Amino acid sequence: MSRIHPSRPDLNFFRNLVRRQIRQDYLENVTGFAWLVLQPLVLLGVYAFVFTTIFKSRIPDSEVGFVPYLAIAFWPWTAFSDGVLKASHAISGNAALIGKVALSTEQLPLAAVTATFLMNMVGYVAVLVVLQLLGTNIHWAFLPLALPVLLLLWLFAAALALFMSALQVFVKDIVQILPPLMTLWFFMTPILYSPEQLPEQLARLMEWNPMTWFVFHLRELLLFGRLNLGMGEFVAPALVLVLAWLGWLFFRRFSGHFEDFL
Amino acid sequence: MTVLIRLENVSKVYPRVHQPWERLRAFGSILLGREPRDGAKVLSDVSLDVLQGQSLGVIGENGAGKSTLLKVLTGVIRPTTGRVEVHAGIAALLELGAGFQPEFSGMDNVRMKAALLGLTSAELDQRLDEILSFADIGEYVHEPVKHYSSGMVVRLAFAVVTASRPEILITDEVLAVGDESFQKKCIRWIERFLEDGGTLLMVSHSMYIVQKLCHRALWLHDGRVEQYGEVFPVTQSYLAWHQSRSAEERRLREEQRGAAGHYRVTGFVFPEHGGGDTARVAMGDDLLVEVTLQSPDGRPPVVHLGVVRIDGTPVYGVTSDSEAVQPVRIDPHHFRFRLRFNQLGLLPGSYHIRALAMDPEGLRVFESRERLFQVNGKSIDVGIVHLPHAWTG
Repeated sequence: MSRIHPSRPDLNFFRNLVRRQIRQDYLENVTGFAWLVLQPLVLLGVYAFVFTTIFKSRIPDSEVGFVPYLAIAFWPWTAFSDGVLKASHAISGNAALIGKVALSTEQLPLAAVTATFLMNMVGYVAVLVVLQLLGTNIHWAFLPLALPVLLLLWLFAAALALFMSALQVFVKDIVQILPPLMTLWFFMTPILYSPEQLPEQLARLMEWNPMTWFVFHLRELLLFGRLNLGMGEFVAPALVLVLAWLGWLFFRRFSGHFEDFL
Repeated sequence: MTVLIRLENVSKVYPRVHQPWERLRAFGSILLGREPRDGAKVLSDVSLDVLQGQSLGVIGENGAGKSTLLKVLTGVIRPTTGRVEVHAGIAALLELGAGFQPEFSGMDNVRMKAALLGLTSAELDQRLDEILSFADIGEYVHEPVKHYSSGMVVRLAFAVVTASRPEILITDEVLAVGDESFQKKCIRWIERFLEDGGTLLMVSHSMYIVQKLCHRALWLHDGRVEQYGEVFPVTQSYLAWHQSRSAEERRLREEQRGAAGHYRVTGFVFPEHGGGDTARVAMGDDLLVEVTLQSPDGRPPVVHLGVVRIDGTPVYGVTSDSEAVQPVRIDPHHFRFRLRFNQLGLLPGSYHIRALAMDPEGLRVFESRERLFQVNGKSIDVGIVHLPHAWTG
């Protein structure tokens, strides 16, 4: 057996990390596992009430109701945003571990992102089932095509998590800066509205937002049962892959120094 | 013999990270691929080989870099310069409860630690009983680790390490925490581990343990290798150095006390009884005591004089300032007190007279000296002191 520093990622350890994160974030509550499905449904009920009863929001020229339109995009966004936010302090939050045991530290932010995604996906499925029961036509046949999109979204979140968690060790303000940026990003993404509702210039600008791509495809596949293939479908994955690779390089450059700065 | 670990010219610099701008600058230099070089140098130019079966003890004072060296060896930190090669499965038990998460139960932490040590879930399930019986903490294993005593944490951590069957075991001074019977259990386990061809790398302040368990020793001093070789010569020269250093420290301390000029007793005699260190007085005679004090700042000091029976029973004490007595200035820094006990009422026996040198405020005692004197006589009264009395009828 031969080992060269720093130690390699280890699947068994990673699984333990993810399991621990899930237990810490979701299952330590009194309501435990039930909360996992209940929370997204309660949240969905709140949004339905606020946006259809109070704001009277509607999606123009569409046979789809506002709530399903929102829900399809909202859970993947939450997984993405929560995942990145949680992972951003995965390194500094595990200072005790990093200073005392040898481990490949990139597993910490990746585990945070993965745990958040897994939990949100459970909620996502629950929401989809409830929408179906309430009469929305969910195109289940397109689920296998939606999976790669979600996987790519996970990779996108993981890439940002690697950048942010490493940066946070040196620039502690990241924890304060990131949440408002995420909120801005949320409103700059057509989640609560459709891009057609925007002035044309802004809509064109919105196309440069990578989240628009994810949201658009999830809706097209699961809500409308349409498969759109174009240049974008090759460019987006390639960009995410490049970003993930850069994030990895960035993280690796700094990971050997974390212990000095924690 | 196979080399398990090789260090070549390893140095470690801890960068300065207190100010936000220092962190930013370090961030920039790492991004550009440069090592941040200014900071505290904890290890410099350490080279060593750990061979299979040749256990190594790392010794040295606190702050010599021992723990940093172990962290480099285990891959917890990366050296600033130099090379580290590891060709074996390492299990390390660095600080107390290393990597244990206080919020989680002992069992969860065992799973985590086992995964870190490279055990698969199947292997862990197989060895779980072995771990629990070694740790011997009973039902506590299902409690959060934050409720554990430090001894229990070490028990559990060591138990997982034993189950991981490492080729090299690295320990810091953690075994000192457990109770005696557990320490013995650990030592026994380590001895068997060594017999079976395992290699131990340990930091310890106990030369006895190092000599007992290790073949070789490395003496670190200020981050450098002072000596490295067979265990006995190295530990012996470390001990010798340590002793000479403590002697030197004591000498320095005393010198400082003299030079910094504390208030001291420089003379303490019985002038009417030969001027010597001891005196014989007949009961009822006068006893004159003369004390000379040194005052570093030239202000008249305060003396306290007390009589103590030889068994330590205090008899009487008096302080010069409480009676507003000014000493006689002999020279700018020396002052003389003379105290006469008239018709000494002490019963026959041996006594000490004690002089305390105090500052002019009479608040701090700087030095205490004693002189022996004997009271002779034929009294058969009992007690310490003769109280003047009369029988009236």
